Amino acid sequence: MRIFKSTFLLFVLLIFSLSGLAQSQDVEIPLRFDHYYDYSQVVEAVEALHEAFPEMTSTEIIGRSEENRDIWSLTINNPETGEPLSKPGVYVDGNIHGNEIQATEVGLYLMNYLLTNYGKNEQVAKLVDRNAFYFVPSINVDGRYHFFNDPNTPSTNRGLRIPKDDDRDGLFDEDFPDDLNGDGSITQMRKHDPFGKWKTDPEDPRIMVRVEPGETGEWTLLGQEGIDNDGDGRINEDSEGYVDPNRNWGSNWAPSYVQSGAGDYPYSGNVTKAVTEFMMERPNIIVVFAFHNTGGMFLRGPGTKSEGPLNPRDISVYDLLGENAEKIVPGYRYLISWKDLYSTYGDFTEFTYNQVGAFSFVGELFMSEQETYVAHDEDPIGDEEGGFNQSTEQERERLKFNDRVTQGALYREWESYDHPVYGEIEIGGWAKMSSRLPHPFMLQDLVHRNASAVMYAASQTPDISMEVFETERVSGNLHRVRVRLVNSNAIPTMTYHAVQNKLFPQDRLTLTGSNAKVVAGGELTDRYNNRVNYKEHKPEVQFFYVPGNDAVEYEFLVEGSGTVNVEYVSRKAGSRSATATLE
Amino acid sequence: MQPGTIKTKLLYACLALAVPLLLILLFPKQGSAQEVQNSREYHTPSQVNDRLRDLNRANRNTTKLHTITTSPGGHEVMMIEIGPETDSEQKSMPAIFVVANLEGDIPISTEAALYLAETVIDSNAAAKKSWYILPNGNPDAAAGYFENPLVQDIRNDKPHNDDMDENTDEDGWEDLNGDGYITRMRVADPTGEWMPVEGDPRLMKKADPSKGEKGMYALYSEGIDNDNDGQYNEDVPGGVNVNLNFPHLFKDFTETGGAWPGSTPEVYGIFEFVFDHPEIAMTFSFGSTNFSMVPPKGGRQGSADFQSIQIPESFADQIGADPNATYTMEEVIRMVQPLAPPGFEITESVVASFLGLGAVVNPLDDDLKFYNELSDQYEEYLKEKGMETERLDPEPARDGSFELWSYYHLGVPAFSMDLWTLPEYKDEEEGGSGLTTDMIGEMSSEEFVELGEEKLGMFLEEIGAPEQYSAEMVIKMVEGGQLTPERIASMLNQMPKPADSEGASPEDRALMAFNDNVLDGEGYVNWQTYNHPTLGEVEIGGAVPYVRNTPPAAMVDSLLSVQVPWVVTLAEKIPRLSILKTETINKGGGVWELSVWVQNENYLPFPTAMGEKNQQPRPVVLTLNADGLEVLGGRARTAVGTLAGHETKKFRWLIRSPQTDAINISLESANAWNDRSQVNLGGN
Repeated sequence: MRIFKSTFLLFVLLIFSLSGLAQSQDVEIPLRFDHYYDYSQVVEAVEALHEAFPEMTSTEIIGRSEENRDIWSLTINNPETGEPLSKPGVYVDGNIHGNEIQATEVGLYLMNYLLTNYGKNEQVAKLVDRNAFYFVPSINVDGRYHFFNDPNTPSTNRGLRIPKDDDRDGLFDEDFPDDLNGDGSITQMRKHDPFGKWKTDPEDPRIMVRVEPGETGEWTLLGQEGIDNDGDGRINEDSEGYVDPNRNWGSNWAPSYVQSGAGDYPYSGNVTKAVTEFMMERPNIIVVFAFHNTGGMFLRGPGTKSEGPLNPRDISVYDLLGENAEKIVPGYRYLISWKDLYSTYGDFTEFTYNQVGAFSFVGELFMSEQETYVAHDEDPIGDEEGGFNQSTEQERERLKFNDRVTQGALYREWESYDHPVYGEIEIGGWAKMSSRLPHPFMLQDLVHRNASAVMYAASQTPDISMEVFETERVSGNLHRVRVRLVNSNAIPTMTYHAVQNKLFPQDRLTLTGSNAKVVAGGELTDRYNNRVNYKEHKPEVQFFYVPGNDAVEYEFLVEGSGTVNVEYVSRKAGSRSATATLE
Repeated sequence: MQPGTIKTKLLYACLALAVPLLLILLFPKQGSAQEVQNSREYHTPSQVNDRLRDLNRANRNTTKLHTITTSPGGHEVMMIEIGPETDSEQKSMPAIFVVANLEGDIPISTEAALYLAETVIDSNAAAKKSWYILPNGNPDAAAGYFENPLVQDIRNDKPHNDDMDENTDEDGWEDLNGDGYITRMRVADPTGEWMPVEGDPRLMKKADPSKGEKGMYALYSEGIDNDNDGQYNEDVPGGVNVNLNFPHLFKDFTETGGAWPGSTPEVYGIFEFVFDHPEIAMTFSFGSTNFSMVPPKGGRQGSADFQSIQIPESFADQIGADPNATYTMEEVIRMVQPLAPPGFEITESVVASFLGLGAVVNPLDDDLKFYNELSDQYEEYLKEKGMETERLDPEPARDGSFELWSYYHLGVPAFSMDLWTLPEYKDEEEGGSGLTTDMIGEMSSEEFVELGEEKLGMFLEEIGAPEQYSAEMVIKMVEGGQLTPERIASMLNQMPKPADSEGASPEDRALMAFNDNVLDGEGYVNWQTYNHPTLGEVEIGGAVPYVRNTPPAAMVDSLLSVQVPWVVTLAEKIPRLSILKTETINKGGGVWELSVWVQNENYLPFPTAMGEKNQQPRPVVLTLNADGLEVLGGRARTAVGTLAGHETKKFRWLIRSPQTDAINISLESANAWNDRSQVNLGGN
């Protein structure tokens, strides 16, 4: 046992140095999307974009991770059309789960696309001129680092590097899986066993299927590759963390016995705290996309049933954006988190909808069903079993895809191994860079389509124009001034949720003039019949929001003469001003 | 009714000893309200920190100061550590975490924390444990007690736009009549909802149209409409009530709760400190609740019930469950585990979050047992000290409070104390039944039935029980076993106390009695007319700020010296785990059976039932150590799990130890002390 441990340590060291050597590609603009960027390349890419487009971008290190890595953000804003806070903010992040790495590539792709196409593509120019884009391409930087640099399954290194005693034995993170065969992936272990519950699939010997009653077994599955590092009779039972950064936000947060991975308290993770501070300083954010991997979904809240349904008017905005996103990315479904997937407490988009007041989506990138090996006249197999396991038919197809489309890159063939506890076993299965990640040849399509879903939403952020459409003398020096605000896009200037819960002050319209006094003022509900809801106090200041693809009108009765200024200020939709002359 | 006649009818139940005598001595008629209320005996936030620094200077070896954060208003939130391990970051002994005045408007609670710190330093209470005492959890608001005008408010200095207009904190109070207090304004208003109480026209109550009453006054807090928006004092300075900003049952979107749990630094600082100090074995708070006297309240709807789980249809199909049936957590885990990938363990938490079962919101029965027993002991203790317990009820813990958070999230016993309420007002002529709710609670079912319908009916009427609870029905249910007198008492205790025949609440009656008889009228500003700039003729008056929860400074010492030592008594009851004995049996062939008995020497369980559920206090682990030790049966590291108060558990191993006869056994815990032992195989 002791001898085994030291050789094990040795080859773990080897893996680290090997993987260090493997990653050295120069980052150049335009960015390429035929490979994945490791943590340091992500930082290089952000810096390179800023260097190439210094006027249009700014970068900021928004915080440091538990292992002291910098968390980078990049802002795209055209200074010629105004400061970032004066425009609707579109926020995009990814990789809050360390293993969900292609989420970062969507952000990098969109940054790169907006910047390199500005001046070439009219739609892109309009998006960039009208919005401020905020990116935090990789949130869980420790997780990304360890996913690239350590042996992993496709699902490990999801959480934060906050030690947790998963098996309640008083020790923290003392029994990780181990890359026994040194291939850089944590795969599966199986052992020949006539009393096992599994047998070899007759069509593909790499697959095991459950034995039926009356049949003899062939294999026992032993779980993830590893040894019993702490000698407690269990294998791999206390690996990194587990605090799930996407259950650590302060909105509808619940402790660990209610929500696995919640952390000890809201914002106990460095990264969740840093992103929260970043967003609270940017109250103009009105659209949020947070990218994850697996499933092919655009999810919206609420995260739990007990929160009750969203305001129907917000739902109609979500539906428009979600239903378009479904069409932009074929096969992806627009779903409601708690209802169509499962309940989550304290997740990120819960916070951004509830506290930032932004229409917020989780984009679950990639579906393994896209790993096809099927003739044009055959029915696709798809994933019908649901739950935790895919069907044998689908696994057969995915293995053929592995063999003939990716030349075996995604799967580790079973090889025998002498295990210190189990004796002769076999190790094999899906490699780290598989299953939840598209092969790099499919990456370009994935990042472009998902970035396009973001761009569609950005194209619908509120676009307000204001005009004084009537100035009329009522009698003497009393004048009627009528103002119209038009939102030519689908997203209102505030979520209805923010209005209802008084999250922040509503949009404000103020009429002032050096020689003018507002006698009365209010919403003009019927301009033909002169119906006005006059505000009882302070008529010169009016509060409201502008719904999507709609207009609101206000009337002021003003005593005085000369020029009056009308000013509109919105937290999310910028400011507008106009003047009128009382004659 | 004249105040004089009330006086003769009053039965005082003041918390201080020999009250009438004390009152005459302490409150000569000439004492002004200012002296009584703003006495130097209470400490400003900076004086409190100075006092902590003094204590630290005088006790260098046994104390240490921690500044956990700076409040939005720039006050250092300071804490004193007292104990034998101030030099080490990692503690080997447990600690008691004490916080006071998170509400910010309870000056006596800060004094209690200082008093406790002094008591602990002067006694041996910190000989074998540490104390972390934070006297001012909400210093910004606490500073308000020392300002002129005097205003009672719970907000810290974090700006908040209460009325969501174009300005923040722009419409605070003004002391219009210049009496040094922010009280209330009443304005004759035909649309107003308020009217004077018939028996005491100084008091105001809401008119009840069903009784033919009609409102004639509008009520405002004292001040002007600074921003001309038609509202008075609707956006006062400040933002967060620190004691609403904790995660258990946190309420979103309230005016003073903060944006999210821990959004204000005082609270986030406490999160960080508490979770950096796993040695904390009990929390205690001085404030508005009293878990020492009244256990945390149950009866909330929607508590997660892990014993009867319904599986939604969409999942029921996948795991082969019946969506109409209910299952226990164990059953659900058994159904789901075979579907999980190998190596993926299905735990309670995985199921609970997947199905969205939600949080526990009622105290668990096993925990209520110790809360109730200790509450009885506290009552006895107070009696022995000669302190009457007839007082107004303490406030129940509020959603989002520290008290609830520590009980539900930290998994340690959480106690609190409110120290003083107005003495309960009692009219001798009332209580014709001669019964009280407490008396009912202590009766056996037989005794209860013997009361008879007439007497019980009188009692139910006196306490304002709903009409459907007729004496006849209640007696039948007790006879039939559906109800116990104890349960009835607990139900009655949850009901709001009835107003008296004239409509004054018990709190208001207590206030006026105290004002008239103790404070000589200085606790209540009588209504006086004032010409208000926008409201016209108004009257300004009402309770002096803090009079309801802040006793005259001269009473403070006697209140603290009786009550605060109970904290030390409770702290002695935290679980202490140790190795009671060991035994070895030679099984032959070099194989030994080793048994170790682990006991909880103290009264409180390790952990609380709630702690067992949320896995929050770190586990206590028994380890065996010896060179070349082979553990054949059992594990070298064994978590001891739960140990009720005074419980002993036996642990057993089969071992071989070819290299040495000496086996070291250690019991390692974060917050229940450590212990070690050695057995000698063969030698014994």
